[in-house]
Amino acid sequence: MLSHSRFAALAACSVFAACTYAGDATSPHLTAAPAAPYAKVSSLVKLPDFIPGLGTLYVDPSTLPAGPFLGYDRDGRLSATIYMVPIKALQNGESWDALKTGDARVDSVDIYYNAGHPGVEEPHVHVVLFHDAAARARLAGK
Amino acid sequence: MMSRRRFLACSLFLPALAWLAAWRPARGHGAGPALVAMRGTARGERVWFEPAGLWIPQGATVRFVNEDAVNVHTATAFHPDLHGRERRIPAGAPPWTSELLLPGEHYDVVLDQPGVYDYYCLPHAAHGMVGRIVVGTPEDAQWTHESYYQSTRTNGMPGTFPELNGVLATRSRHASG
Repeated sequence: MLSHSRFAALAACSVFAACTYAGDATSPHLTAAPAAPYAKVSSLVKLPDFIPGLGTLYVDPSTLPAGPFLGYDRDGRLSATIYMVPIKALQNGESWDALKTGDARVDSVDIYYNAGHPGVEEPHVHVVLFHDAAARARLAGK
Repeated sequence: MMSRRRFLACSLFLPALAWLAAWRPARGHGAGPALVAMRGTARGERVWFEPAGLWIPQGATVRFVNEDAVNVHTATAFHPDLHGRERRIPAGAPPWTSELLLPGEHYDVVLDQPGVYDYYCLPHAAHGMVGRIVVGTPEDAQWTHESYYQSTRTNGMPGTFPELNGVLATRSRHASG
């Protein structure tokens, strides 16, 4: 019989998995650029192709500004899912619920302030979900 | 084994070599364009122009260089023709703006008319990324004083411009550079 804590953990995992972009670990977007409507961010706005800390970003433009943005390392491996949440909108009571993730496996999460950039000009928060233990290091390189 | 003389020579020579490698020419008009770097923290929490206040002689070139590895920037003069901002460049001076500059890219502008030129970064206006260039001195015949020269804030945007006198005080450094 499942213990209470194990049940809670399984329930959390199943909710998390239900929110993923494409379901399982064999999905093609894990090792190659995602299909439309996702588009490379640097093709939508003027930003570096590879952003140190975030990687090569893809986003479905209809989900801007929050995302999810999918961050790929230099070898084309999905390494992070990023959300960009404008602070003023949060203060005004806006919320973003049930956002998708690029991969249900999440090793760690970073949250920090960003002053703005093309695509999400206003001051906002980056929420970065790293999908494996080495992802942060792979995305850090110039 | 290294002789004492060779050891001494190395201990003097290597630091001198390191100093030479790190040395950069003065950022004055005598060494090419005056440089303003566009900078930011690694995660983009803060962005700024460096130096925020720059003095140049009349007719000198200013080069804006994006040294921020994770962001793009512009250098955009405060002028009604550019996004409807108030005029904070001398009357009659043409407005100027760069494109969005990717990391490593630069933009040059020649400033011929004496006075104070305030500028900002278009994608970071809400963050208050602003700077000030002072061209020439109040002693110049063409210098026409305007009220914004003494103000360090602008309407509708955070960020503070360096004081006019503070920027003028840096000119002796450039004159000897």
